[in-house]
Amino acid sequence: MTVPLLAVDKLEVVYQRAITAIQGVSLKVSEGQIVAILGTNGAGKTTTLRAISGFLGLDDARVTEGTILFRGAHLENRPPHEITWRGLAIVPERDKVFPNLSVAENLAVVPRRRGTADGRSMEEVVYHFFPRLAELKRREAGLLSGGERQMLAIASGLMCAPDLLLIDELSLGLAPVAVGKLTESLVQIRDELGISILLVEQSASVALRIADYGYVLENGRVVLDGDAQRLLGHADIQEFYLGHAGGSRRSYRDVKQYRRSRRWYG
Amino acid sequence: MQLAVNILVLAAIYALIACGYVLIYRVSRVLNLAHGELMMLGAYMLVATASAFSMSPVMAVVIAALMSLAVGGMVYLFLMRRMTGEMVLAAVLTTVALGILIRGAVILIWSAQQYHPRAMLGWGNPVITLPGDARISLYAALLIMATVVVYGGLFLFLRFGRWGMRMRAAGQDPLLAAQRGINLHAVFALAWGLSTFTGALAGILIALDSGLDSTMVMIGLKAFPAALVGGLDSLAGALLGALIIAAAEVGVIRFIDPLLADVVPFIVLIAMLVIRPWGLFGTREELDRV
Repeated sequence: MTVPLLAVDKLEVVYQRAITAIQGVSLKVSEGQIVAILGTNGAGKTTTLRAISGFLGLDDARVTEGTILFRGAHLENRPPHEITWRGLAIVPERDKVFPNLSVAENLAVVPRRRGTADGRSMEEVVYHFFPRLAELKRREAGLLSGGERQMLAIASGLMCAPDLLLIDELSLGLAPVAVGKLTESLVQIRDELGISILLVEQSASVALRIADYGYVLENGRVVLDGDAQRLLGHADIQEFYLGHAGGSRRSYRDVKQYRRSRRWYG
Repeated sequence: MQLAVNILVLAAIYALIACGYVLIYRVSRVLNLAHGELMMLGAYMLVATASAFSMSPVMAVVIAALMSLAVGGMVYLFLMRRMTGEMVLAAVLTTVALGILIRGAVILIWSAQQYHPRAMLGWGNPVITLPGDARISLYAALLIMATVVVYGGLFLFLRFGRWGMRMRAAGQDPLLAAQRGINLHAVFALAWGLSTFTGALAGILIALDSGLDSTMVMIGLKAFPAALVGGLDSLAGALLGALIIAAAEVGVIRFIDPLLADVVPFIVLIAMLVIRPWGLFGTREELDRV
């Protein structure tokens, strides 16, 4: 059996020593795979991602149970910069670029990992994936559009030549056209660089279109997982995430919470 | 003419000290209230090296300056590092305690007597006569030059240097900086090191010019309004703030009463806080600092 690139096992995260945000979350990402984590607001998607990418003291959150193994090395409660050096880059949901730094500076601040291509050539690589950024080199990142900002955030993540890219809410607040382009770029990045991607998304249609495998998170637990194709066809995903009414004429808004909890929590 | 020279010299002193406040505030939002003490410590370091390296005076100065760079870095690594990610107020209070500690240690080690490191090193301080019959001492002129070099260097470093960019990035968003793989501790230690180094440079040059005792802290304290008037997160602001404070102080000494000299910077500071609390060049969002 091959060792997965990232293996999260029975993870539990507690905020302020009192609030349990996620419980018993297990997931795997293999080399070259795109994996999606789906779920509604507050399901624990971002917490899972932040636990993997490391907390700063101010968050007052800790991994209290379970393990996060990246290439066999433990990552629980390590500082963010150390995790990045191991080859795991995150594109956060908000505050994803340095607004007062230019596009080129945003890319230049990222330290190189030892034993990887030097900064100059990595810059060329990201401009190859996002030619638009090359045109905007000198522009301050705070003046970019939402889509351009997301491009820059992904590009900055790539600058450290990671093995795994974590992306929090790729499609949030972006026009469908922009999202389409970004997902194309992600597939291209995976195909050409062999980088694995862990995608956290509210939009199941966006995520499952490019993902190989998916996990559904509810109330801090994984309630459903499987191949993306299988999930797309799954009745619950169809109904709760893609908005197909499942044949009946009942308003899905009224029954969503009730039926979901009946099906998943028995 | 002499008035202009006096203003310039004082402005250079304040500016050289103020950039230390700005550096640390900019990267970590911490007000280093021990900066005056650290500056004084740098000057006392020269007293120590002056007696140890009396053969080669230049060496003594260089080593004293480099030691203060190390002291700054160590203050971060051994003391302030624990405050990273904690409340800023806790960090500020830590610097207050540190300042009191240094002041005590200085008196304990070197006693309260006055030192003249220039005499210890066997150097003179010739007076240079400028056109217009203005006079300036050699070390005061060196102070102005040091300020120009330090500010020029810092501007270039922050603008084009990779670590300079990282300092700007960490100042804007520490979490994101860490997520990008930037070692925050290294950035903060660098800021503390540079800040203490520039402060000590000012302290050393002032001590060489006019001697040294533990009242030097007052000069460090008076440079703080300069940093704040300019806007705490702006180097250009610190430069202008220093000029304003120095002009006000020299003007009052000359035209009103020399006894008011130590009060003037703080009157300007209060006036500024009333009119424009974020400073001349400061970021407006930084208002919650006061």
